[in-house]
Amino acid sequence: MSAAAARSIFLVGVLSACLLVVGCTASANNETFFGKTDPPRENVLRYVSGSEPESLDPQIPIGQNEARISMALFEGLAEYDPKSSQPIPALAESWEVNKDWSEVLFHLRRDGRFSNGDRITARDFVYTIQRGMTPSVGARYASLAYPIKYAQAFNEGAVFVFDPNTKNYLLERDFADDNSTNPVALSSQPDVISSEYANGNASLANTALHQTMHAPLRLVLPGKDKKRNDLLDKNPKLKAAVAGKQLVPVKADDVGVEAPDDYTLRISLMQPTPYFISMMPHQFFRALHQKTIEKFGSAWTDADKIVTSGPFKLDSWRHYDRIVVVRDPQYWDTAHVHLDKIVFYLLADNVTMLSLYKAGELDVTYNHTVPATWLEVIGHRKDFMDAPEAAIDFYNFNTTAGPTRDVRVRKALNMSLDKKALADWRHVAPLTAMTPNGIFPGYPQPKGDPFDPEQAKKLLAEAGYKDANGNFDPKKFEASEIEMIMNPDANNLPYAEFIQAQWKQNLGATISMRVMENKTFTTAQTNLEYKGISRTGWSADYMDPFTFLSIFYTPKGTNATGWWDPKYVALLDQANRTTDHLERYKLLAQAEQLLLDAQPVIPLTVGTTRLMKKPYVKGVYPNAATLIPWKYAYIERDPSKWDYGMPDMSEPSAVAGG
Amino acid sequence: MLRFIVRRIVIIIPMLFVVVSLTWALVRLAPGNFYSGEKKIAPAVEANLREKYGLDKPWYVQYGKVLRNIGRFDFGTSLRYEGQSVNQILLRALPVSAALGFTAYLLALIVGITMGTLAALKQNSWLDSSSMVIAMLGISIPNFVLGPLLVLLFSLTLFWFPPALWNGFLSKSIVLPAITLSAIYVAYIARLTRSGMLEVLRSDYIRTARAKGLSEWQVVTRHALRGGLLPVISFSGPALAFLITGTVVVEKIFALPGLGNYFINACFNRDEPLILGIVAFIAISVLVFNLLVDISYAVIDPRIKY
Amino acid sequence: MPEFDDQTKPRVSDTELHVGPEYAVAERDVSEIVSGEVEVGTSLWRDAWRRLVRNRLAALGMMIVIVIALACLVGPTLIEKASGHPYDFIPRDASLTKAFPPFRTAGGQFSWQHPMGTDTAGRDILARVLSGGQISLMVALIATIVSLLIGVTYGATAGYIGGRLDDLMMRIVDVLYSLPYVIIVIVLLALLPAKTPFGQIIELFIALGAVSWLTMARIVRGQVMSLKNQDFVLAARATGVSTPRIIFRHLIPNALGPVIVYATLTIPTVMLSEAFLSFLGLGVRPPRVSWGSLAAEGAQSLAVYPWLMIFPGVTMALMLFCLNFVGDGLRDALDPQMKKQ
Repeated sequence: MSAAAARSIFLVGVLSACLLVVGCTASANNETFFGKTDPPRENVLRYVSGSEPESLDPQIPIGQNEARISMALFEGLAEYDPKSSQPIPALAESWEVNKDWSEVLFHLRRDGRFSNGDRITARDFVYTIQRGMTPSVGARYASLAYPIKYAQAFNEGAVFVFDPNTKNYLLERDFADDNSTNPVALSSQPDVISSEYANGNASLANTALHQTMHAPLRLVLPGKDKKRNDLLDKNPKLKAAVAGKQLVPVKADDVGVEAPDDYTLRISLMQPTPYFISMMPHQFFRALHQKTIEKFGSAWTDADKIVTSGPFKLDSWRHYDRIVVVRDPQYWDTAHVHLDKIVFYLLADNVTMLSLYKAGELDVTYNHTVPATWLEVIGHRKDFMDAPEAAIDFYNFNTTAGPTRDVRVRKALNMSLDKKALADWRHVAPLTAMTPNGIFPGYPQPKGDPFDPEQAKKLLAEAGYKDANGNFDPKKFEASEIEMIMNPDANNLPYAEFIQAQWKQNLGATISMRVMENKTFTTAQTNLEYKGISRTGWSADYMDPFTFLSIFYTPKGTNATGWWDPKYVALLDQANRTTDHLERYKLLAQAEQLLLDAQPVIPLTVGTTRLMKKPYVKGVYPNAATLIPWKYAYIERDPSKWDYGMPDMSEPSAVAGG
Repeated sequence: MLRFIVRRIVIIIPMLFVVVSLTWALVRLAPGNFYSGEKKIAPAVEANLREKYGLDKPWYVQYGKVLRNIGRFDFGTSLRYEGQSVNQILLRALPVSAALGFTAYLLALIVGITMGTLAALKQNSWLDSSSMVIAMLGISIPNFVLGPLLVLLFSLTLFWFPPALWNGFLSKSIVLPAITLSAIYVAYIARLTRSGMLEVLRSDYIRTARAKGLSEWQVVTRHALRGGLLPVISFSGPALAFLITGTVVVEKIFALPGLGNYFINACFNRDEPLILGIVAFIAISVLVFNLLVDISYAVIDPRIKY
Repeated sequence: MPEFDDQTKPRVSDTELHVGPEYAVAERDVSEIVSGEVEVGTSLWRDAWRRLVRNRLAALGMMIVIVIALACLVGPTLIEKASGHPYDFIPRDASLTKAFPPFRTAGGQFSWQHPMGTDTAGRDILARVLSGGQISLMVALIATIVSLLIGVTYGATAGYIGGRLDDLMMRIVDVLYSLPYVIIVIVLLALLPAKTPFGQIIELFIALGAVSWLTMARIVRGQVMSLKNQDFVLAARATGVSTPRIIFRHLIPNALGPVIVYATLTIPTVMLSEAFLSFLGLGVRPPRVSWGSLAAEGAQSLAVYPWLMIFPGVTMALMLFCLNFVGDGLRDALDPQMKKQ
């Protein structure tokens, strides 16, 4: 037994040794591209959209993976510019805003059609918005439309208060000082709303809804009895005024969106919202077909029932596998749509995607699919796309517990981190403020704290962690009361390890870290059940700095730090009321500076797109929102016209008409 | 025998209830919801969601609904995938996992039994020890190491097979996942066959068969295998049912739309109806397979009486 | 994945089948038991040990296991003393924070510093593999002991008392066996409070041990059932020895054979389970590393930096390999049927 066994073990040993040698003489491919570069034979683009979509209904889910598919199937009033992600006309040919930003008018094109041939009119957009705000639909992104007048009230199931004697509704301004209905100070609604537009607008009908929109803001109370009674009990004046009056539920028709005629859409806003237009390309606002949804309910997205409004229509959905969309001949601009078919593979694992890409079965991946650890081998290749993104990585502080309650501790931890080293190591850009640098032209971004470990130590000493001479004493610092928590995404851990090493080396403090399972982590983070630091990130919902600053607009919800300052909110509101673009930017920057002074977060890095794109894929740009309007994509079969490296993003794309 | 079978079948139902109830309790206790994620949603929207899916009702009402669902074997619609019922998902995911599992296990049986029988026949020879060494490798190398290795060699270097995705049962895309999945089963089956055959080959009736002048092949196939494969059969019962859980890693690596993938995502998504549906299905499979195995055991070995 | 003992005959519910080997009980043992002293037959164990050592493969396996275990025990401390850095040290120099192949350093020159190369943050792989080994071995060992304690007690009690209680206890085992393993672990790992990284590891012990005791219980039950009608037990009962004493001092020591074998085979299974959990993100969490988490991490970069997965993977495979051979050897050593050869 021993001789034979010895022989077989020797064999296995030799084989393994060979494997080791082969493996360790690492493949130093110096090829230009990563893997095969043969264009597909058909006029088809093969993409990875992400994990299985929750639904093809553009209003229900909240993920990027669903958004990428919605971009092909549905179209909205505006579309993202393929290079800059700014809103460009789509189903709306033009739009105008009134003088004080309380009303927006969209002029729709007349040749828009659904995939079944029905015309797309302004009434379809009224339906889309009303339906999205309907509570029973459970749209996750409903809050996007809250700037529309009474949209939030409708979505929350709130009520108006009607006085049957005077035939009037109670008004918000009569009870404004009580701040009763909204913990966040409602911006005061001007009493008189300007009807002035750039080119006048007298021809539009002054409907009943329009008059309501121009009337002073009505008082809105919670619909649920218990919540409302609690509120009234706290406010005797309000209670007295409400007693004996009728409670009228806010209906879909009360929401400030209407179609005065078939091709004009008029939206009334709760308060000036300068970034409103940049929200219009969002999938939530894309045109839905009323009859289909009303007839089939939640099954309306089945391949045999769905009716879409975009350049492509649904061909098949093999769950957990792939979604295939084909050209929609009814689409108004189908002459300028290049691709005949797009295949969306439903994968979420980066390594699998890159294997498929290398084997030539995939043409483009979505953002962040190239692991940072592969950059040594992939970073120099000509099909690797690395452009700045409107996305940030940062750490939340729990400002309500532990040593991180003290702003000096927070600032010290922030200052003792060499963000440039971190960014260099990961080939991204460092983030010192709250908004990503360079994405918003003309924005005077505040600087944030520099890397200064000495100053950090001084701050910690001031905070009380000092020895007899008044210098910082690492042994006194309760580093065990701080920990970093994160979810298991691939990049979080290496970052944390790097940062942990930095703090160890710069402050002498060992701060432990904990990787938690996904949902456990989000629960702990939302409820502030952690000590110290939690890792998070944010990608822009629309292209405006406010999308980042609005994280801290409310005390809870998106804000997971426990820090909230009414002065900050007031600055943001004031900025949004400012119609001058640059003035507004200045005010936003002031708010950002206030935020940075309070340091409820540690800004870390700005995201970069890090995706792979075959050189024969054109019209697809690694833009800041990483959302691709598919009608502009095409396959280039002449190798001399292929993209060697990043495509030129500087000139505005020739968009109007393709 | 019949009483035994009936007893076992009757027990399945209360066992199912217990299993599903326990799982439901575990899911309830776990933190997080199907809608909680990094992008927070507004509290009003969250309230709407809870109402829409009946999450705002007290726990005993929800539990009652779960119990009724078990009875009808219909766990409702998935929380995460809008409009898709759990049974729909089971129906389309099951064939994929079944095809994969069946192929992998068949492969494991063929290769494993052959290896084990040869090893037993040529005990202590070079063939025996190298087979056992290879079998041992199958147990020692985790499938999430083996899978990527196979992909690296056969997909990304030789371009023989696709590195991922499911193109149907009879396509090239089943090869690598089946090999990865079968590795550990080949190992166990080879060892079980070997030890089972060794025992059987020592027994009297085999000596008689050999003395009668039967060829080695006839001795093995007609007489020895029957007894020698008993351990393999008993292993097959729970193994087949747990192949489903075992495919989780393989389906993840190769991005296959099977039950394992759905299940692991459902767990991470806290998609309660889907979790319960899959758990109920697995529980029934385990119980039924165990029963079938016990029955086949009695069929093969006449000494066993129930 | 649940563990399978490939030597156990099936659990057949209503019939008692002899499972496992029988043990020759000497007269001396009986008299000692009757007189109240218990001594497990030493001659049996010494025989078994001799057989084990003579089995070259198992002996080699044992040696390798011991070598690796020792290396993992003292290695990290030695390396830390030699290099001045702990295993999780990330160099500050950006040119050093990348993955170097084995025996190479910046610029491609040969260097003894990193015999297994570095990972993408510049950490030495050898140090990480040895530290990972500490955790992997500790987790496997303690989880096995936990499952041993629970399984043996449970199975012996069920097997000895028999009847309705046995039925009930085995039904419970069946139910637990069909619970989805992954979700138990997710919930266990999410609910049990872990204030320290050490606490996380304890959780893992409990989570892994809590599932492996099931088969152990079945085996012990089978053993006890075949032993309980033997003379020495009847004698003990006749002389009025209490039930717990019979279970713990008479039955269990005699059933130990398969238990030891199975325990030795549980260790690799638990190690594999831990690796699988790490792959899913539920296993050992940083800053601790285990072979499983290292291999899972390395599998991500297999196409570009193969050594990241190869070294932890090979080490783990080698360990599992040898443990399985040792287990086989033990089984052969304790199985009297093999004696006939």
